[in-house]
Amino acid sequence: MTVLFLASPEFWADQFVNGMTTGSIYALIALGYTMVYGVLQLINFAHGEVFMVGAFAGYGVLTALGGDEISGAMIALSILIALLVAGVASMGTALAIERVAYRPLRHAPRLAPLISAIGVSVFLSHLVDDGFLSGEAKFYPTIFPTGDLALGPAAITYLQIFLIGSSLAMMFLLYWTVQKTKIGRSIRAVSESRDNASLMGINVNRTIVVTFALGAIMAGFAGVLYGLFYSSIRGSMGFLPGVKAFTAAVLGGIGSIQGAVIGGYFLGLTETVGRELLNEIPGVNLPNQWKDVVAFSLLVLVLIFRPTGIFRQRATKRA
Amino acid sequence: MPNARTLRGRTSLKLPEWGQALIFLGVGLVSLLFLDATWIRMLFLVTLYATLGMGLNVVVGLAGLLDLGFVAFFATGAYVVAIWGAPISPAVTGTTDFWILLPMAVLAGAGIGLLLGLPVLPLRGDYLAIVTLGFGEIIRILALNMDNFTRGSSGIFAIDKPQYGLGQVDHVNEFFVMVLIAAMIVWFVTSRLRDSRVGRAWEAIREDEDVAAGMGIDTTKYKLMAFATGAAIGALGGAIYAPFIDFVAPQSFSLIVSINVLALVIIGGMGNTTGVIAGAAILIGVPEILQFDETANLLARFGWLRDAANTSIDGLNALTTLDITKLPPAEEWGDKLALYRFIVFGALLVLVMVLRPSGLFPSRRRQLEFDSEPTEPVTGGV
Repeated sequence: MTVLFLASPEFWADQFVNGMTTGSIYALIALGYTMVYGVLQLINFAHGEVFMVGAFAGYGVLTALGGDEISGAMIALSILIALLVAGVASMGTALAIERVAYRPLRHAPRLAPLISAIGVSVFLSHLVDDGFLSGEAKFYPTIFPTGDLALGPAAITYLQIFLIGSSLAMMFLLYWTVQKTKIGRSIRAVSESRDNASLMGINVNRTIVVTFALGAIMAGFAGVLYGLFYSSIRGSMGFLPGVKAFTAAVLGGIGSIQGAVIGGYFLGLTETVGRELLNEIPGVNLPNQWKDVVAFSLLVLVLIFRPTGIFRQRATKRA
Repeated sequence: MPNARTLRGRTSLKLPEWGQALIFLGVGLVSLLFLDATWIRMLFLVTLYATLGMGLNVVVGLAGLLDLGFVAFFATGAYVVAIWGAPISPAVTGTTDFWILLPMAVLAGAGIGLLLGLPVLPLRGDYLAIVTLGFGEIIRILALNMDNFTRGSSGIFAIDKPQYGLGQVDHVNEFFVMVLIAAMIVWFVTSRLRDSRVGRAWEAIREDEDVAAGMGIDTTKYKLMAFATGAAIGALGGAIYAPFIDFVAPQSFSLIVSINVLALVIIGGMGNTTGVIAGAAILIGVPEILQFDETANLLARFGWLRDAANTSIDGLNALTTLDITKLPPAEEWGDKLALYRFIVFGALLVLVMVLRPSGLFPSRRRQLEFDSEPTEPVTGGV
């Protein structure tokens, strides 16, 4: 039994860093949900599996390059290659999904693409788990330099620094793409109104494809980071991060890019720090899995009280 | 705009629904005379899942609400019967009779359905999908961690069997008759509901919620009713499943149960009870049959096929750098195929949505809705 705030500042600082780490992964995945929802008003249920494919692509690259034997300057290079390949693999998967499972259903009743998305999700996760791996997990090689950096009371491992830093860089890159480039402008236009965008001469199909591609690259990137950090990967790994990233997207106001990032970090911190805070109450000792309950309860609460997201002022019809 | 399909549908001869139900009941009862316990066990599972499917059908097929956490209600029913019906459960001393627990389980299911639906149902459909998905997981995690009530992953067993005039329901044949009766009752209730004012309101909401609201239908109330009805039927299934399997543990209530039920409703044909039963027979029955000894014996005769295939694989492996795994013994093919069932289910869900969105055995109204193209304006004659 713990006593109120017995834990040291170091403990809380560590929890904060852990929250930021998982938050980075949620935020990266949430971007894909929020962008696709923006242009298609579709929950891309298979996005968690796009993330999973990225994790396995990165695993494949790292094992092919020598696995645990990778050392020295090769580490940075091989991780870079793994991230690139994962991005491409996830993008390919997402585009194939869009072409096969979503595009034929664009004018179908609302339920149809949702069900099709679930089908893709079940197919991919079981294809990897039952078809290829017989239910076993694969483990990322542990090549990242260990050791940590003291930052105030917190000790951040090099891996966490890399994870949080590179995620932020990717998010900034995406934000820049959407805000400052021509294709970004068409994405925003299609999000506003697909019909009007089409009347303004925007190639809606191409824009939708690019949106899927951008979201998938983020997910593939997150997959490799997840693998490096948690090591164990499996076909069903996309489910929980997928649902939570969706929660993050809803928290930040679905359709909004900044919202997804803020929602991701908010959820990551709430899960880790929130559970430990509850554990500070005498007599409470919540197991690790309760962080899933925290996430889902948060989702339900936000949907009841602020269906447009915590930060959004403008009421939309989307909720 | 009438098209060839509607005209054909109207003129086709169709067995009335009570006739279909009688045939189903008759086939079930007759099979008791001829089939052994493994087959009856398979038929029990098919009928149980068909019952669950009829429940989910009310939610997804009639009211058009995508519920991905159906397992939560199934688990609720099973746990009510297990906790109050087994001497082993830690929180409750003594046991209560199954026939008292059964209605309690159904009520508990409906209650939890209402509780979950209340906050989410006023919102649009896709949020419901994700919230129910999360809720299904929450129920499983709660069951796993609330050791004081559920015994966690050790599960609850030695559940009291249902008593009846002649003794107690403990043979698989008796359980099969029980679930067959339950299926008939659920079929009757759901078909009466469908043809009532309530059912018309559900279908109106499914077709277009805004228009339904404009016509004066209290959409939230009717959506809640659909959700609670489905939940109650799910709990009924769980309550029957608990004494049959006699081991109620969180690992039986994972997401895949929800997916299973959803897949059989969608693939069989939404809104149509016969379609749901056909879906259950294909999605639950076939994988079970594949694992039977009879199937293994049958497949063992194809040893020559395996040898031929493996010889060619050997040749191919020798010629190329490919390293193709050889086929397992022919008698294991059935088990292997059963293992891959969810890959097939997933692919089927996509295929059915893209190629035949009204399901393999659609209800006529459902077919009209899904197969017509509402976005295209009518220009000129067809």
